[in-house]
Amino acid sequence: MSARADDSPAAVEAMVRVRGARKTFNVGSPEEVRPMQGIDLDIPAGQFVIVLGGNGSGKSTLLNGLAGTFRLDEGTIEIDGHDVTRWPEHRRASLVGRVFQNPFSGTAPMMTIAENFALAARRGRPRGLGWALNAPFRDELRDRVRGLRMGLEDRIDTAIGALSGGQRQALTLLMATWIEPRLLLLDEHTAALDPKSADQVIALTDEIVSSRRLTTLMVTHAMQQAVNLGDRILMMHRGNVLHDVSGPAKRRLRVDDLLARFEDVRRRELLDEGAAALLERSYV
Amino acid sequence: MNLLLGALTLGFILSLVGLGVWVSFRIFKVADITVDGSLTFGAAVTAALVVGNGTNPLAATLAGMLAGMLAGTVTGLLQTRFKIDPLLSGILVMTALYSVNLRVMGRSNVPFLGKPSLQTWCEELGRAVLGAPSVDVFGWPVAAGDLAVVTLAGLAAVLVGSVLWWFFRTDLGTAMRASGDNAQMIRALGADVERYRILGLALSNGLVALGGSLLAQYQGFADAQMGIGMVVWGLASVIIGEALTGAPSLGFSIVGTIMGSVFFRELVAIALGFGLNPNDLKLVTAAFVFAALVLPSLLGRGRAQEVRP
Repeated sequence: MSARADDSPAAVEAMVRVRGARKTFNVGSPEEVRPMQGIDLDIPAGQFVIVLGGNGSGKSTLLNGLAGTFRLDEGTIEIDGHDVTRWPEHRRASLVGRVFQNPFSGTAPMMTIAENFALAARRGRPRGLGWALNAPFRDELRDRVRGLRMGLEDRIDTAIGALSGGQRQALTLLMATWIEPRLLLLDEHTAALDPKSADQVIALTDEIVSSRRLTTLMVTHAMQQAVNLGDRILMMHRGNVLHDVSGPAKRRLRVDDLLARFEDVRRRELLDEGAAALLERSYV
Repeated sequence: MNLLLGALTLGFILSLVGLGVWVSFRIFKVADITVDGSLTFGAAVTAALVVGNGTNPLAATLAGMLAGMLAGTVTGLLQTRFKIDPLLSGILVMTALYSVNLRVMGRSNVPFLGKPSLQTWCEELGRAVLGAPSVDVFGWPVAAGDLAVVTLAGLAAVLVGSVLWWFFRTDLGTAMRASGDNAQMIRALGADVERYRILGLALSNGLVALGGSLLAQYQGFADAQMGIGMVVWGLASVIIGEALTGAPSLGFSIVGTIMGSVFFRELVAIALGFGLNPNDLKLVTAAFVFAALVLPSLLGRGRAQEVRP
């Protein structure tokens, strides 16, 4: 442990530390998948990490594993110095803020904007019998919502279900960061939006994450986003981290480079399948 | 007049049942049939304590309410810890409660037989306050006792409604509403959704049992059959209430449920007055709820409907 710390100063102040994480779903059935095959990962405090990968590469599983929607089969997860490996999802919420792919997942549709934010303002804290809403909170809420420039500051008593996907996703992002999270998880949070709303939400993401130096993992399919945003890119493939690019190399990275790497992965995959077919022909 | 006054009293008392059903049906979106058992459970516990034990009526009423909360907790545990379908969980607990209620009462019907109950207390209070056995209301003579009972039943409904309105505006209550509205979201915000569900069902069945306890004291007996069909009756109150107020907010929804309960009881009293066979009452209630559930979507057909999950 101490040897590792001496080797890499970054690891000492790691906000997230994953060691030997393994997970298999549907064990023993034909649908068995292994989205985590011994993942080791250190994320220093304040780093903005972009996670890329094809379908079934394990990128969403990595985020869900950090959020605690399932328990690891093997390995450990530390967030901000706490060993959270055995913490249930709702307990990890004290450290983790999340925005989901589906814009409807992050807000309670029947409740008003103000009530949704009152819930977010107590993320990971005990909830008692005090009024959920009061005048100072509503004023602060109006101020912060005005910053979105969506005209929602006059509608904080509207049911949130009446808003568009883009508006709801922007609000969810604001809710996830209302109390500063030690780790922010964004799971393809613009994938379900129209291009204009997606751009708005991405701009907001960049603004919030960089101005407050939040430790962030963001899954995306959009290469342009991956190139423009963040300090580091993880490319996942079959439950492993295939490429890990940060620092100057990340800043030099272009969309073409990423596409080339994906093409490389695809070729390898074809090769694997060809090899499997060959084996099958020889032995069956 | 006395018929309508009785219906008003019943409407107020049963609005507690309506509010209990409102919690499970509107907050957690399940029709929790535990209600049919927990209403009788509340009545049975109160009757057994008052008649068999000479317990203070107020304490016996509270005990009845606690019994209902226990029943709701069991249903909640079946739904969450044991992952049993919500409807089936309710059916299991309701069925089990039938035997429990018979055990508690010792027989299928326990009359209060003039023992001091909240009903007799109210009647005495009414006579003491008004100083006469009966008073004139718009020209009709009304027993002072009946007047006191209806007033206090109304106060109980308003009090319980206010407490619910307050509770669902607190941090805890808001999170409970969210756990029924979007469990994934509130889990990600740090709430133990299963615990909220158990707590909510305990609250719901506690209110139902309180209604059952008051009902037994009002009608003068507890009966093993008295809970049958009560969940449908509660749903009718909720749905009528929403039609009456439009339910644009939490407060209106709660007030509406009380109004719905009273309104429906009055309708029933009038229908009975015109010769509706009491045996047909549950059929009529079920048909009414069916119509109330189906009509809006039939009327809305063809209109572009905005559906957001």
